Amino acid sequence: MMKRNRKRESLRLGTVTKSLVVCVCVAISGLGYVWQKNAIYRLGDEIKKRETALSSAQKRNMMFAAQLAHLESPAELEAKCQEYNLSLVAPKETQVVRLYEPGPEWDIQMANAPIPTQTQPRQQAQVKLQSRNSQPTTLARQ
Amino acid sequence: MTLAPQKGRALILVGALASVFTALSFRLFDLHVLQHKELSALAQANREQVVHRQGRRGMILDVNGNPLASSLSVRIVTADATITTPQASAIAEQLAPLLKTDVDSLTQKLSSQSRYVRLNPRVKLDEDAVQKIRAMKLKGISFEDQFVRSYPNGPLGSHVIGFVNAEEKGVQGIESSMNDYLEGQAGYEVIERDRKGREIRALRDEELGPRDGYNVVLTVDQVVQHIAEQELEKAMTEFKPQAAVIIVSRPKTGEILAMSSRPTFDPTNMEATSADARRNRCISDVAEPGSTFKIVVCSGALNEGIVTLNDQFDCENGAFMYAGRLLHDAHPYGVLNVEEILFHSSNIGAAKVGLRMGPARLSDYIHRYGFGHKTEITLPGEVSGIAHPLSRWNNLSITRIPMGHEIAVTPLQMLMAMNTIANKGVRMKPMIVKSIKDENGISIFDYQPQVVGQVIAPRTCTLMTTALRKVVGPDGTAPKAGVEGFDVAGKTGTAQKVENGQYVRKYYSSFIGFFPASDPEISILVSLDDPEGGAFYGGSVAGPVFKAVAEKVAEYLGMEPHPPQPEVAKLS
Repeated sequence: MMKRNRKRESLRLGTVTKSLVVCVCVAISGLGYVWQKNAIYRLGDEIKKRETALSSAQKRNMMFAAQLAHLESPAELEAKCQEYNLSLVAPKETQVVRLYEPGPEWDIQMANAPIPTQTQPRQQAQVKLQSRNSQPTTLARQ
Repeated sequence: MTLAPQKGRALILVGALASVFTALSFRLFDLHVLQHKELSALAQANREQVVHRQGRRGMILDVNGNPLASSLSVRIVTADATITTPQASAIAEQLAPLLKTDVDSLTQKLSSQSRYVRLNPRVKLDEDAVQKIRAMKLKGISFEDQFVRSYPNGPLGSHVIGFVNAEEKGVQGIESSMNDYLEGQAGYEVIERDRKGREIRALRDEELGPRDGYNVVLTVDQVVQHIAEQELEKAMTEFKPQAAVIIVSRPKTGEILAMSSRPTFDPTNMEATSADARRNRCISDVAEPGSTFKIVVCSGALNEGIVTLNDQFDCENGAFMYAGRLLHDAHPYGVLNVEEILFHSSNIGAAKVGLRMGPARLSDYIHRYGFGHKTEITLPGEVSGIAHPLSRWNNLSITRIPMGHEIAVTPLQMLMAMNTIANKGVRMKPMIVKSIKDENGISIFDYQPQVVGQVIAPRTCTLMTTALRKVVGPDGTAPKAGVEGFDVAGKTGTAQKVENGQYVRKYYSSFIGFFPASDPEISILVSLDDPEGGAFYGGSVAGPVFKAVAEKVAEYLGMEPHPPQPEVAKLS
């Protein structure tokens, strides 16, 4: 009798333990599922917030771009110049220094040119200056 | 004895419960299996919502990338008028100051019985105003985001840019002709909302983002456009003409740098404009060109070798009888050579050159220059003008067409003819769109200058330019059109207007010129319809406008002064 009772008691404990483990597993899976779901929703909300922020920043950007375009419009700039009495005028032709970018012929010429000695550049410059000055005279004579 | 009634009652209870459960089971089977398809669709429709996202309309940019038209996202206040009708006037009084509109029109909208009314379709609402309206907690009033077209320069270049309607569809100008590129593509999202109406982002099902429209880059330069319009406005104030046009272009490529006409309109305030003001007169109005057309007959005759610049014609002291009708000159001239005919602008001289050329050849050159045909500029509303076929010419036509009568042209056609002479006889197609770019600035399509054909030989152009230079000289018809530091060639025109089939004492005064004459970079057309105040000759009315615009444009573009070459150098 005693043996049978002990056997029954030990069986109960095992069953209880198993049941507990199963319950704990189910509970953990359930909680994990809920936690995961919650995390998905939370992330979704954060994405939404960022999307809204991006969209509103883009809208503001558009608004500022339009504002900037208006402020930079020639009519607006002219009005501001008059308002602040800046007396801005265009430079006279004599005040303009024009720099000429040499074309591809110049690059070829420079690539083929011998390495100048110390006296050569000055001589070349003098020759060029002379030829440039002599052009109108030649034309006039013709 | 006591068990029998209990058993009976138990059986009844079991039977009743079994019937109820059977009925419930059947209903569940019916809902979940038999009606599954319809009901699940209904449930999905209740839960899900398809939200359409509008693509932003592309920008119109000038040649330097400055925006001429762009779309802004603004809050639109909408109303369900079936809800707002009972308190329409009270709501209108609260909203009117914030929406910058009048109470009456707002009351009318709020009591229109429509389920959807836009209360501020054109007014940009700032965030403060939105918060104030929200705080009012008005029933039937809601907000939605919408794109509204913005024109940062106001009326500047409005005839070229055009405008859009309330649905953001282009109606005129580039907005209309390039609408397919400018228009964005709408996207959509399938979303689910919580009980407060907020989207549950995690349950977003499908998503297709909208595509913004492409940006259209024009050849127009907003500073050149501003200079041109400013000077045109000054001319409008000084001469009070009925209308006026100005076009600035590059003869070598056909690029249009500025194009404007008066009266004009402000695309940001369409309610205040008339259809007359919205018309782009540069391409949609035709008129007899007058003396500017002499470039066609003279260049044609020179090109055919029928005349030389030194060939002399008797200008009959200002009165020439031909086919029973008298032809007059503005000033009486004796014998003039072809060069003098051009720079004195003798009608009789031009008529005699035309007579020597003959109708067939003259008609051929008229069509070669593109008169009677559309220039095919990328703008809507262009007309082809009137250039009658040879079969419809009468006896007088050969003397009247060379002086710019019996033919009707658009200002753009006339400028393109002058550009042909400036461009060594090569006729270019006018170009107003430079490229199409996506929102990241990557080029989708680049337009290239297009050659229509060689109209006259380069040598003829050199001869024509020599003669046209003298037009702005002290003996020419437009000394006021001369530009300091630059060699200018041009032609004046003073065409009488026709009213009720009769020539009247009203004029189209025009000047078309290009500079530097030896290597033309810029060409400008100025035309004023019926100037007041006594002056009406093209040289004295349109010439100064040309000069003012040319000087400022040359300065802005950093053009190096190109003074006229000494005669001795030219001859060599």
